Amino acid sequence: MSKQQKPKKYVKRFSKAFIWAHAINALSFFALYITALPMYTEFFDWLYPVFGGPAGARLLHRIFAVTFVLPTLIYIIFDPKGFLFWLKELVTWKKRDVDFFKEFPKEFFGMKAKMPKQGFFNAGEKINSWIQIFTAVLIIFSGFTMWFPEYFPDTVVQWGYLLHNIGFGLAIAVVVGHIYLSVLHPGSTPAFRGVIKGDVDAEFAKGHYRDWYDELVAKGEIDEDGDKKSADKTA
Amino acid sequence: MAKEYIKYVDVTKCDGCRACMVACKNWNDLPAEPEEFQGSLQSHAKVTANTWNVLNFIEHENSKGDLEYLFRHSSCFHCTDAACEKVCPEDAISYTDFGSVVINNDKCVGCGYCVQNCPFDVISLATYKDKNGKEYRKAQKCTMCTDRLEEGMQPACVVTCHPGAMQFGNKEDMLTLAEKRLSEIKEKFPNANIYNPAGVGGTHTIYVLAEKPSVYGLPEKPKVPTSAVIWKDYAQPIGKLMLGATTMAVMAGFVSNKLFNKGGHDHGQDEEGGDSDE
Repeated sequence: MSKQQKPKKYVKRFSKAFIWAHAINALSFFALYITALPMYTEFFDWLYPVFGGPAGARLLHRIFAVTFVLPTLIYIIFDPKGFLFWLKELVTWKKRDVDFFKEFPKEFFGMKAKMPKQGFFNAGEKINSWIQIFTAVLIIFSGFTMWFPEYFPDTVVQWGYLLHNIGFGLAIAVVVGHIYLSVLHPGSTPAFRGVIKGDVDAEFAKGHYRDWYDELVAKGEIDEDGDKKSADKTA
Repeated sequence: MAKEYIKYVDVTKCDGCRACMVACKNWNDLPAEPEEFQGSLQSHAKVTANTWNVLNFIEHENSKGDLEYLFRHSSCFHCTDAACEKVCPEDAISYTDFGSVVINNDKCVGCGYCVQNCPFDVISLATYKDKNGKEYRKAQKCTMCTDRLEEGMQPACVVTCHPGAMQFGNKEDMLTLAEKRLSEIKEKFPNANIYNPAGVGGTHTIYVLAEKPSVYGLPEKPKVPTSAVIWKDYAQPIGKLMLGATTMAVMAGFVSNKLFNKGGHDHGQDEEGGDSDE
């Protein structure tokens, strides 16, 4: 049932607050990664002069550390309903979510997969959210001890270094997969539009988030073919 | 390969003259650091980035209720397993053939990881100004006068010590001297001990102490922080491995999609939807 000839229809997926929060989070994450990279691997020591020396890199890292904390606040303040919906989805696990992981490897490598119907967030996105929340908490709290060692006992600062390392090590490994799936993987690239413009191809939503799509239809927000019936108000 | 040497400090022979402090400042060309009155004869609270050697004065009430005036020459311990060397992200700290632990100032970026991880609190950051007036930081500490050792001389503090409270020599010889001295003073100082902590693999500055280490403000059982070991030996290599693994996985995924999924994304039929982390 290819719809390629017909004009595409879009369904709303994310709020403006989410889009901004997501973008600031992404940019801060990479800025933080790059400004600390020469500390991680000597191979990147040539980056020091780029940032104005080690002191410059430290200053930039602290500036982006502040912007890294902002997205959560933006999301909570400007779209509290969306934020709560996200958290609720994260703790909701059904058979469809578990079954997702049986099919995901096939899908990932481009083979035929029989994906179970997914909710607003598929199980992979939920895991990604969980890991990013967990690592962000690790990174932010350990970052405080590293930034202000004079206010913490030595032991706390020492463990802070370790937790910071574990946090970003895990986060970057997952982020590579996350970004690949959104910008390169042929099966899921249409999702990228969701975090930039806030809506996604209705046909894609139907294929990837069938439970969510059916809910929208049941609520009467769209009809079976993805046409808008009324103003949409999805998180 | 040079031999492994040890600086042996017998605190019971020290008379608190502080000539070692002066010799250290003099040889290493370190600036004076005037400090507030410490409430005792001790001039500085502890060693700093510009004062690598401080003579500690401790007023101690011994088990008989008598006042014991204890002196201790304090400087870097030059650990066999040095936490500072372990955590340095720039490989700026290294071991010399003599057994001393030294900082390469050209490599040091002043991050302070070593400062936070030193079990003895003897390494710290000095702030300098470059010719444009911009400030930069470098970690500094006692070098065991490695520049003198390379020329066949002994550390400046040892050479200047007039009561002979410090000696510098072959590791085995110094350990034997310490054992001998310990047996001599055991009667007068029942708590006397040799301070050469195993938790850091032994040190290259060892002490014969008259009282328990804690009396001198030293950790009883110093060791390389467990967090530092997990961080550098496990977390960092595993983290790099994981990044490599996911990068390889997405590259493999990209290639296999090119091979098996030529039709692109439009393959969601009926209930089947290709799915993934977005």
